[in-house]
Amino acid sequence: MDDMEDDTTIFSTLKSFKSLISCPDRSLLETEPAFGRSGLQNLYTKRVELEEAAERVRSHTNLLQLTQEKQQMELSHKRARIELEKEANSSSRDLQREIDRNRELLLQIRRLEEREEKANQALNEQMENNKALKRNFEELHKKANEKDSKLAEADQVCVCVFCISVCRKMKKSMPEYNCSFNIKKLSLICALLPLICAVRLQELERRLALQEQDSVIVKNMKSEVARLPELEREIKRLREENTFLRETKENNSLLREETEGLRRKLERMERAMEEKLKVEKPEDLSREVIQIQQRELNLKQQNYTLNSSIRSVEKARTELMPEIAQLRAKAQEEQKKRENQDSLVRRLQKRVLLLTKERDGMRAILESYDSELATSEYSPQLMLRVKEAEDMLQKVQTHNTEMETQLSKAQEEAGSFKLQAQMVSHIHHHGNFLLKIEELESERQQLEEQNNILEMRLERHNLQGGYDPVTTKVIHLQMNPTSIAKQQRTEEVEQLRVECQRLRDRLRKIEAGGGMTTDDTTLIIPPSQEILDLRKQMESAELKNQRLKEVFQKKIQEFRTACYVLTGYQIDITVENQYRLTSVYAEHMEDSLLFKSTGPVGSMQLLETDFSRTLTGLVDLHLFHQKSIPVFLSAVTIELFSRQTVT
Amino acid sequence: MSKTLKGITLKGSAELVAEFFSFGINSILYQRGIYPAETFTRVTQYDMSLQLTTDAKLKNYLTNVISQLKEWLFDCTVQKLVVVITCLETNEVLERWQFDLECDKTFFLPDQCKYESIQEEIRSVIRQITATVTFLPLLETACAFDLLIYTDKDLEVPEQWEESGPQLIDQSEEVRLRSFTTTIHKVNSMVAYKRTNST
Repeated sequence: MDDMEDDTTIFSTLKSFKSLISCPDRSLLETEPAFGRSGLQNLYTKRVELEEAAERVRSHTNLLQLTQEKQQMELSHKRARIELEKEANSSSRDLQREIDRNRELLLQIRRLEEREEKANQALNEQMENNKALKRNFEELHKKANEKDSKLAEADQVCVCVFCISVCRKMKKSMPEYNCSFNIKKLSLICALLPLICAVRLQELERRLALQEQDSVIVKNMKSEVARLPELEREIKRLREENTFLRETKENNSLLREETEGLRRKLERMERAMEEKLKVEKPEDLSREVIQIQQRELNLKQQNYTLNSSIRSVEKARTELMPEIAQLRAKAQEEQKKRENQDSLVRRLQKRVLLLTKERDGMRAILESYDSELATSEYSPQLMLRVKEAEDMLQKVQTHNTEMETQLSKAQEEAGSFKLQAQMVSHIHHHGNFLLKIEELESERQQLEEQNNILEMRLERHNLQGGYDPVTTKVIHLQMNPTSIAKQQRTEEVEQLRVECQRLRDRLRKIEAGGGMTTDDTTLIIPPSQEILDLRKQMESAELKNQRLKEVFQKKIQEFRTACYVLTGYQIDITVENQYRLTSVYAEHMEDSLLFKSTGPVGSMQLLETDFSRTLTGLVDLHLFHQKSIPVFLSAVTIELFSRQTVT
Repeated sequence: MSKTLKGITLKGSAELVAEFFSFGINSILYQRGIYPAETFTRVTQYDMSLQLTTDAKLKNYLTNVISQLKEWLFDCTVQKLVVVITCLETNEVLERWQFDLECDKTFFLPDQCKYESIQEEIRSVIRQITATVTFLPLLETACAFDLLIYTDKDLEVPEQWEESGPQLIDQSEEVRLRSFTTTIHKVNSMVAYKRTNST
């Protein structure tokens, strides 16, 4: 399907290309006569472009095809890889199984071999035992022979002993004459015989025991030896099994490989069956297999070629990358240069324009001059003008140079000024530093003074007894003299207060009671008789006082009324030494005369009152001239009386 | 005592200073008339005749304080000793005899420092105390005295002792007197008295 789609795209592009080719042909044909040379050129260029486009399209299509084929190849490759991996997994599993089986078989073989070895060892031991037994047997045989010989000797000895006994009997019967030799021999033999017999007896007993043991051993060995052929048979069997197992192992490996190959073939066959729905004939299968193989080979070749091309392309790319970077850098540099050149070109063009304008202007001027001065010669004028122009140029140049020099001077001066300014600023800084130093000095002095003051204050504080509560505390004994003294003082004061209170109470009671008090006070009370007498005296004195007062009052009152009636004036003492006289015939109640006593002699002076102002004539006459108060007073009464009676 | 020693130890120095305080306080009490003169008896100390009280209660009080002070001198925790004279009627503090103590803990035993020189210095201090009485104002009212000790804040206060205020004089005049040193303890003396209205 992808191929079909690709083909359609290819066809479509071809169609479009053809259409493109056809269209410009017509257009070119139509427009040929109109444009002429340029038309042909355009045609040609267009044709070239079209061909290029066609080539591009073709290459593009090829690329597409190739990419598609590559994708397909990759897909099939992947599939093949996956299948291969599956096969590999299965084969690995089979391998594992076979390996395990192999191991088990090997183990069995080893065990059998061990058994064989053990059997061999046992056999050898048995053989050795056999040999040993045989040796023993022979030794025993020898011993037995020896014993027989010894027994024979013993028989002979017994015979001798019998003979000796017979001889002894004979000796006993016969006296000792013939057989002294024999007797000596016989005696010797008789002496030795019991020893020899005992020794031989022991030996024989020992040999008997040994023989009995050996016979037992021989019996065991016989039983074991009887087992030998069985062991040999077992060994033979194991060896045969071993060879068999080894053969089977080899066969196993061969079979495994065969199975693997067959399985692969099977799978391939199954795949072929799945992929292609063709008749299951062996020829078709073989053909298909061949085709598939060929395809596989082709694909692999293509894959390789593509890979190689990719690698080559990548290498070329990597090689080209630095070149590209270099080229980019160069291009940038070239661009910059070009820009600079462009700017230069612009400037030059501007200059050229200016110059051309100037030239044109000059030319115009010259032409105008020339037109004005038609008959005159041009050359001297021109020469003059040229000279003038040259002079102007020179002036301008000198001016330029002067300006340049001035500029440079100005720059130098500016530089020098800058230096100076820096110097000044430095100096200024220095000045600043000096100022700062002075300020700091003054501050220091102030701080020193403050420090001194604070130290003095601290000293004072210390002298007065102050302390830092954070670091020190003040303690004293609770029972110290001051507190004791204060306590005593307060106690005394309390005692005195209490006494005072008691005395006061006592006094009150005494005053109230007036008799013997039963208070438990320590005061000595005077006898009551005196008190009563004194009280009586007091009372009488008071009575007297009272009476005297009353009498005095009465008398005074009488006297005053008499004075008023007789003299006609009521005399009141308002203030100390001041006497107010009010007349009987006064018109108003307030009318009064005030007199002041000036000395102890009894002289009086009249004080100014409202009423006295009305009597100025009388005052002048009687007081100032006549200097008599009674006359004045009587004159006043007469005056008042006359006033009253008249009205 | 420590006459035979060539140098001074911390313990010896503490004893010297405590002894000085004992006699000094007695002198002050006698000179200022805090206690009646007939309750004092003459003794010889520092090659001069000094007054010592015979009042049992006062003696007991002084020994209590001086013994505790000796301990604290040994520990170098005491900073000042003050004799405060209070008027009983007005409860005003009239005089303050203050002795500042500086303790040099990094002491070493010098051979130059001798008992005789220290004695000479103590003598001059006590003489000066006696001399100051001439310009101190008269104590007309009945007065009592108290001993205050300025110590380090973290000192453990024994049972019978309690914290008190500094009992400063309101409007005081101060006079610095002589000092003496035992190279381990240095004692600076000064007296502060209440300014009278006439001055």
